[in-house]
Amino acid sequence: MSELTERTKKYLEEYDGPEIRIMEVCGTHTHEIFRQGIRRILSPKISLISGPGCPVCVTPVKYIDEAVYLALESGCTVTTFGDLVRVPGSSMSLAGARARGARVKVVYSPQDSEKYASEHPDEQVVFLSVGFETTTPSDVLAVKNAIRDGISNFSILTSNKTMPGAYEAMRRSTDAFLYPGHVHAIIGTGICSELAVAGTSGVIAGFTGDELLSALAVTVRKFSEGKPFWVNAYPRVVTDEGSPAARALVDRYMQPCDADWRGIGVIEQSGVELRDEYSDYDSRRKYNIPEFKTEYKTACRCGEVLQGKITPEDCPLFGKACNPEHPVGACMVSGEGACSAFYLYGGKL
Amino acid sequence: MSDMVTLAHGSGGSKTSELIEKVFRKNLGNRYFTSDDAAVLPRPEGRIAMSTDGFIVSPCVFPGGNIGKLSVCGTVNDLACMGARPLYLTCSYVIEEGFPIEELEVIAESMGKTAREVGVNIVAGDTKVAGRGQVDKIFITTAGVGVIADGVSTSGSFARPGDKIIVTGDIGRHGTAILLERDDFGIDAEVTSDCAPLWVPVEAVLKVCPEMHVIRDATRGGVGTVLYEIAGEAGVGINIDRAAVPVAPEVAGVTGLLGLEPLYLACEGRMVMMCPAEYADAVTAALSSCRYTEGATIIGEVTSDNIGKVVITTEIGGQTFLPKPGNELLPRIC
Amino acid sequence: MCVGLSAKVLSVKDGVALVDCTGAKREVSAELLDDLEPGDFVMVHAGSAIAKITDSDENQAAKLAKEHLV
Repeated sequence: MSELTERTKKYLEEYDGPEIRIMEVCGTHTHEIFRQGIRRILSPKISLISGPGCPVCVTPVKYIDEAVYLALESGCTVTTFGDLVRVPGSSMSLAGARARGARVKVVYSPQDSEKYASEHPDEQVVFLSVGFETTTPSDVLAVKNAIRDGISNFSILTSNKTMPGAYEAMRRSTDAFLYPGHVHAIIGTGICSELAVAGTSGVIAGFTGDELLSALAVTVRKFSEGKPFWVNAYPRVVTDEGSPAARALVDRYMQPCDADWRGIGVIEQSGVELRDEYSDYDSRRKYNIPEFKTEYKTACRCGEVLQGKITPEDCPLFGKACNPEHPVGACMVSGEGACSAFYLYGGKL
Repeated sequence: MSDMVTLAHGSGGSKTSELIEKVFRKNLGNRYFTSDDAAVLPRPEGRIAMSTDGFIVSPCVFPGGNIGKLSVCGTVNDLACMGARPLYLTCSYVIEEGFPIEELEVIAESMGKTAREVGVNIVAGDTKVAGRGQVDKIFITTAGVGVIADGVSTSGSFARPGDKIIVTGDIGRHGTAILLERDDFGIDAEVTSDCAPLWVPVEAVLKVCPEMHVIRDATRGGVGTVLYEIAGEAGVGINIDRAAVPVAPEVAGVTGLLGLEPLYLACEGRMVMMCPAEYADAVTAALSSCRYTEGATIIGEVTSDNIGKVVITTEIGGQTFLPKPGNELLPRIC
Repeated sequence: MCVGLSAKVLSVKDGVALVDCTGAKREVSAELLDDLEPGDFVMVHAGSAIAKITDSDENQAAKLAKEHLV
């Protein structure tokens, strides 16, 4: 451990300035902060809130119902990242659908799904496209490749979202944001400086232990200077312009749309969907999926957890009726969820 | 002899004898290898340890070994964990009809070689052939008997606060090697299983530390599972220094790409040892000079805090719990 | 949402990069980045290289500390 790491830790441990609330809005940040043992380093004057940063967690229940419909009723092969398999829908999860004979396959990238479709022309393959700006370009590449490969048995069920709407919705609940480094690798830093002008502070943070420590220390130091601020604490990956190529790619195939954020509700223009000319690759339109009503289990408080209003431990189901083996809500299933992070790494030392 | 195992080979008649003679006795034979219903053996002096294990690994041949080598190492190591010199093994095979004889020979040859390396005799066995599809290629069960030297007594429940925790080499190799053989996830990495017989290193360790408290084989579930088991059995807490846990770069690369925790990946030639602190350096030195345990290193200690839990000191000096076994998340994405 | 791994580029051809994460090699899409060269380091996410890595995290931390934490 370097001398700088020691110094930074000491600064955060001993901080005795004005109380500060920092909201992180990235499921990977939530988990890494726990996994690195950072929460226990922070002085009691620094409180770290988890916001709506887990793309699986903010996906409404009806999305799972749509996926289950495609698997069981439309006879599609549903390909997905592993996290989504056990998220409960209104009546069952994809794991439940698989137990009833549906084809559900875990993939590690959207391109793997497109490749699978090209190798299995007899199967109607759907990819569950859930994610923020970091992942959306890869989802679009899968569609682009499907067109290039001339295959017609591949489509994506979209629930892709964009962060600026969430920042706007959450900014009054926190003194500063810890911005998700890889989202900003794509979208650049413009929005961070706009938000600072509007009075909302934040620091773009990377993902290693040292990157998180230094981003948090910078946040606390700048906050105690009393003026709104923004800092890019991840310049080795995030440039001011981000990735124009990725943004152009997404813009070519997708357009903004309203999106339903579990726990928050509909945020206008906070999602992206395939443009009309690509509707053949949009599972919703291709298979005429019926409208599903959103139903939430009333005792599950994922919604409030996602807004940082309560911690997972405040939810009456946490650790009892709801745990990783028997999850009630998405926040406990997802590898990015606040509830799963608290469950796996939390507890009193 | 035909080139495939057939039902006739399992029927107990001449074909069975042919298989036993040409494949098993040829590779495993020794002075005690019996044609009778049971092997007759000299009485060992001392307390006896006995163990058995079934092996169903698929694929049955993988980088670094095969199911045969695994089955010998598995039982040899279980005995070694009790401080017992392995003396005799039995092995029973259930083979799928159609299994290539050539592959069976590779497996048997491997078993014989491993057994001779350790000085253990395979004295009795059994062969059954199951119809196509009733068994996945080949299943092997081994049982073994060993003798424990006077004064040696190890058990998971003997871990004591203050004990140092040593792991005999880099972790998670076997699990990673098997994972990549089954489905490479598009990843190309040279990872060989750590499958190895560890009686010789254990013998060396017991010479310098007869007061060894715990020796446990990290297999399915990896080192992390062993640590939680011991914390529970002994009613102690465990602290691990993440920076000290040895992980080969290729294993780190694969687990990083797939979002897996190396502490929960299977090993097949690694032991976790816990001994009083004053012996830790001598134990590590003894292990470093043995084959298969050159990479032995101290990774943590037993404590009286956080009973039943495993705490990790992270690379930045923070403290966090290692998630309990069984909570292994599906590989993450975004 | 951003789990990424840093990897070294071994080769680039037709929009596909072969990258190496300490001995584990995988093909990823290079279509999101221009001028990728062998020897570059990239951040890999969901099967694509999403950004070039231009410094070590130690250097980055040192520069940040110098600018903001004295």
